[in-house]
Amino acid sequence: MTDQMLRAPAEVQYAEELAWLESVDDGPKPFTWRLSPKMVRAFVLGSEPGDGLDREISQKWFGDRTFVERAVVTLASDRGLLLIGDPGTGKSWLAELLSAAICGDSTLVVQGTAGTTEDHIKYSWNVSMVIAKGQSREALIPSPIMTAMERGAVGRFEELTRSTSDVQDALISILSEKYVSIPELNEDNTVFAKPGFAVIATANSRDKGVNDLSSALKRRFNFVKIPVVSNRRSEAEIVRFRTTELLRRHDIALEVPPSLLDVLLQSFTDLRAASAAASSDDERLESALSTAEQIGVLEDAILHGHFFGDSTLRAGTLAGSLVGSLARRTPEDLAILNKFWHGVVEPRGADEGEGGPWQEFLEGGKQAIEALS
Amino acid sequence: MSTAPANGGAPAGAAPFSPLRERLREAAEEFAGAPGAAAGILAGMVDDVDRALREPVEVFPVAHHSPAAALAMARRLREKRPKAVFVELCEDLVPLLDELRNCKLPVALQAFASEPEGLPSAGGPLSVVAPVTEASAEYQAIAYALETPGVELVAVDRSVDLVFQWDAAREAGQGPDAGQDSGDGAAEAAGLHGGAVGVEIGDLRPRFADLEEHLLHRGRVRHWSEWWDQYVEQPLARADHDTYRQVMVAVGGLFRRLSPRDARLAVDEDRERHMWRRIREHLSATGTDPADTVFVCGAFHAASPVEEASSTAGDGGFTIPPPTGTGWLYGLIPSSNSAIEAQFSLAQGAVSVASATWAKHVSARSVRPFRLKGQKGAGAAGKRSAVPAAAGAAAGPTAPDPGRLSGFLSAPPELDPLDEAELRTWCVDLVRLARRNGYASSTADAIAVYETAVLLAGMRDRARPTPYDFQDAAVTCIEKDTVPGRRDVRRLCEILLGGDRVGSVGYHSMPPLAKDVADRLEPLGVDLGKRTVQRILVDLRAEPELEPASLLLWRLRRLLGAPVRPIAGACALGDRSVQESWDVSLGRDQRTLIELGYEGVTVEQVLEQRLRRAAWDPGATAASVLEAAEDALVLLDSPALVADLGRRAVEVLASERTADGAPEVLRRFRALVAHFRGTGAGLPAWCKEFVKAGYAHYCTLLPRAFAEEEAGVGQVAAMLSFLFSLESTALALGCDRDQLELAVAQSHPEDAAKVALLWAGRHRLGALAREELRARCAELLANPLVVPSYPRYLSGFAQALGPVPELAPFVVEAVSEAFARLPDRVLLPWLPVLVETLRKDAGTMMPALVREAGRTFPGKPGALDAWTPPWAREQAPAADGDAAAPSGGGGPAAELLDRHRASCDAVAAVLGADGAWSGPDAGAGGAASPAAGGAASLVERHPAAAAAVAALLEGRRVRT
Repeated sequence: MTDQMLRAPAEVQYAEELAWLESVDDGPKPFTWRLSPKMVRAFVLGSEPGDGLDREISQKWFGDRTFVERAVVTLASDRGLLLIGDPGTGKSWLAELLSAAICGDSTLVVQGTAGTTEDHIKYSWNVSMVIAKGQSREALIPSPIMTAMERGAVGRFEELTRSTSDVQDALISILSEKYVSIPELNEDNTVFAKPGFAVIATANSRDKGVNDLSSALKRRFNFVKIPVVSNRRSEAEIVRFRTTELLRRHDIALEVPPSLLDVLLQSFTDLRAASAAASSDDERLESALSTAEQIGVLEDAILHGHFFGDSTLRAGTLAGSLVGSLARRTPEDLAILNKFWHGVVEPRGADEGEGGPWQEFLEGGKQAIEALS
Repeated sequence: MSTAPANGGAPAGAAPFSPLRERLREAAEEFAGAPGAAAGILAGMVDDVDRALREPVEVFPVAHHSPAAALAMARRLREKRPKAVFVELCEDLVPLLDELRNCKLPVALQAFASEPEGLPSAGGPLSVVAPVTEASAEYQAIAYALETPGVELVAVDRSVDLVFQWDAAREAGQGPDAGQDSGDGAAEAAGLHGGAVGVEIGDLRPRFADLEEHLLHRGRVRHWSEWWDQYVEQPLARADHDTYRQVMVAVGGLFRRLSPRDARLAVDEDRERHMWRRIREHLSATGTDPADTVFVCGAFHAASPVEEASSTAGDGGFTIPPPTGTGWLYGLIPSSNSAIEAQFSLAQGAVSVASATWAKHVSARSVRPFRLKGQKGAGAAGKRSAVPAAAGAAAGPTAPDPGRLSGFLSAPPELDPLDEAELRTWCVDLVRLARRNGYASSTADAIAVYETAVLLAGMRDRARPTPYDFQDAAVTCIEKDTVPGRRDVRRLCEILLGGDRVGSVGYHSMPPLAKDVADRLEPLGVDLGKRTVQRILVDLRAEPELEPASLLLWRLRRLLGAPVRPIAGACALGDRSVQESWDVSLGRDQRTLIELGYEGVTVEQVLEQRLRRAAWDPGATAASVLEAAEDALVLLDSPALVADLGRRAVEVLASERTADGAPEVLRRFRALVAHFRGTGAGLPAWCKEFVKAGYAHYCTLLPRAFAEEEAGVGQVAAMLSFLFSLESTALALGCDRDQLELAVAQSHPEDAAKVALLWAGRHRLGALAREELRARCAELLANPLVVPSYPRYLSGFAQALGPVPELAPFVVEAVSEAFARLPDRVLLPWLPVLVETLRKDAGTMMPALVREAGRTFPGKPGALDAWTPPWAREQAPAADGDAAAPSGGGGPAAELLDRHRASCDAVAAVLGADGAWSGPDAGAGGAASPAAGGAASLVERHPAAAAAVAALLEGRRVRT
């Protein structure tokens, strides 16, 4: 089945693992959960010897264990879960993994945009059927959230703060009363949430102030802040994990040399330090420099190397892809990158001597900056 | 007991632990695949336990800030009643322990050395602190020993001096082990201990980062304190003495065996040799039976494989190094939970959680803790300890039961039974606290926190939520995207769980200086026990008796800075306010006051020492010595000290080779001279010396300062100011004006500003007339090649207003001339340069210049057309012969009168004076002036007297 999808959802991708976990799980399960909280944790963070599992479960989300525990516990409680953090910190991925583990369906998603309406959260009507047969439960098109209520599953709301306040407020009654009434119908006009229903929303902390949550809604959500990964080791693991997945998806047999991964991680670390030290937005790259962005850069470089190069990943290509991904504003971003290349990359190249990855990285970056300027 | 082998190999008589040893070996084989290092380490743990148990002196392993250790200690002491207690504590800190009873814990024992001598560390005052909290095993031991008659307390660890001798050598090889988890408040918290080196009993923590990380990861906890709390502390809180001892030794042994063999371990081994040597010495000196003693030490040391670490071993050639010449002073300083956490890199809130746990156990478990009599600030533990020891204390000494240890190591930790009521209270209180801190939290949140905490604990394999689970639950449920107030939920939880307890040192334990300060500030109502900022109002007019106390505040301000802050009022040369307002926070900054006490007995003595030290510092400058003298004059009122410092200032001034400090010297010395003259005391001898030395010194330096680029215009101007303004005094004291004239003549500056300054100086000396000065400026303006440097000249002239204030009209003229004569194409680009130059070089002189300009120019635009500049008028008389020039008296007043003759005549008529306007040559000394006429008629009337005077003058001329 995964072969026919460009990107399979977590429950499909890890179907076998989930089924196995379910079979060995003898812990207490809240509501209709497929796995107990401990197993959910093991599924997301990978198994530990202490868990007493016979097979190894791989780690899928990299971050502090407490965040996952707090998130799982919130879902078992009465409140919604709001994952908040910078773009690219793995909020949606965590939400997907959690819903896959808890109810086996991570596709009940509403995407919050400026165009999201209340219908997207509650229900809408199949107009032709309404004309033909009148308003009935048949003619009703339930939203993903309503479907989740009916099934006792986890409904997801991506980018909650991008949708307008009236749409957000529609969530309040769902989260507190746990039912949706359909006044258009005379009978069977209330959809009650089955046990196990929960909402995971994500919000981008950079969007703060666009559509601020009302305090009523805030009260119904538990906030879990996901920070940008700053630990070098976990970041390397994340990048490696995601890249392997990507290579597998594209059937690319290409090795990412550890030295190049180091170059990439170091460059991001340096750029983040520079961003933190900058005093104004003009001196700061527009990019959040998240781990996701690193993966994007590496992905870009790998594909470029695979299709246009000699099927190896080169430092020059990586540099070009880094510049291409991060230079969003001209001339500000280009100026920052230019400064970075001359002030940081060049000394590193000089320290390293001829033939090292930094040298090639330096040249590749300079060419890319020149091409864009 | 003979010395047991350090590693591997079951010693003879280890039978009780054989089954456990066998099981551990099997376990190691199972995990590692083969008997190897793992088996050695695990078996070694058992050997450690075995060895420690066979030691005749009862080794009592503890861990720092461990309520379990404190509980076990209290129980054991009540049961065993030892006659001597050996403590792992710097041996020279013992005399301080008795003072603990006057203090509110936590406080820290401190050793302080202001001038290290012969120690390898890099200078500066050295300080060692050993914090003492109530929830610690060592406090129990101390309280027991001090409160029980006939019990001796012996501190056996190395002296403070050795801490630096040994540790400095170790640190030379590696960086300081700074804590990772110090939060935002850490820097602030650490301030309570200053830059001290911390020593504590029972430091037990993995010694390499990977092991700790592994334990935290596998244990599913966030930081070390939480790991310890969950895996050792909680299960042990209910354990009996033997299990406690065995487990602690086993844990200590495990960490010891896993620690890298480095310099730190070598120091630890030397410390163990030191401690056991002291124990043996004490035992042989007093003849105490080893069975009647207890040795309280860290678990790490309890599992020592060192051969000499036994009461029956020999010294093995170990010698205790002699102390260095450093003079150590001892005292108590206040400490706080957060300061301890910051000092020892513990997680934020760890010590607070420990004290909360202790308080809970004390109130619940019928343990009767020991307490020093008179201990202040009875904590929760002390108040609730009324429950008499009943069932638990009845058990007599039991034989070691090895079965319990193996049970402990194999079974999952047995946790406390659920304490729902406590958790409920926490939830409710937290919500209330959060609401007070701006969170929109409600009862629903309390319920959610409770539920989440229970769920989290379940997920983490805990029977009941620990404070850490509670904290996580609270953050999850209450913390939203922003923190509304100053404190976030995590911090609120810490506050709720006991908060940061800050200790204070009682009056009787303070050094004499601090006591003296407390006594003397009493009339002002300053209470050193209060930790708040106290606002003190002093009205010296209404209550002149407060003057000494107010002066003391000023002295403290000079010595301590921030803790004593004047809001209103001044105390400086010639500036003493009658009403003052102060913010005093000496109670909060008790440490600084106590450390001041190490320097002397009274504030005055310390201040005098500091002033002398500053003055005799090799880096002292004339300005800094004058500052010290000024402080001595204002704050100490000790003429002898001022004279001493003054003489030192003369010395320093004479030995200075540059004029860098000239402006500062001038400013300070002028103020001092004004003070002495103003108070009617006359110049003291040192001031006269200073004038003489300064006159000669600056005359000597002047030509070089003019020539050198390093000396700025400001400096040269200050030198000239000194020379000119104190000239009369200097000449009266026997200085020679020729010296100054020669110095000026020898000066050949190249910088335009200095050239202008030199011209001004020569004008002052009469060597350059104003006309000539004017001509030179005109010349500069006429020469297009020089015009760009004209602003530099102007800045020189502006600076010259200091030494030659009478030049002000001329400077105004020079600036005005530039504006008048320069064409716009030159003037406009030149203007910014002028503004910049004047602002940079002549900032302080600008007000004088502007005032003069205001006097010179007409006040209204309309008057400008008819206005002729004074300098143009000065030249005019020759041309039109008008007698309107100002009279010889000159000056602005005369000019004003001259300009408005009609009004003057009218006023004169009213007053009944009929004078006539004098002509241009009718100055005070001119022939036409009435005074000259009077004098002439007087001489005519008494020719004999005039002739005699003439003869006398004639005679003198002949003689000279």
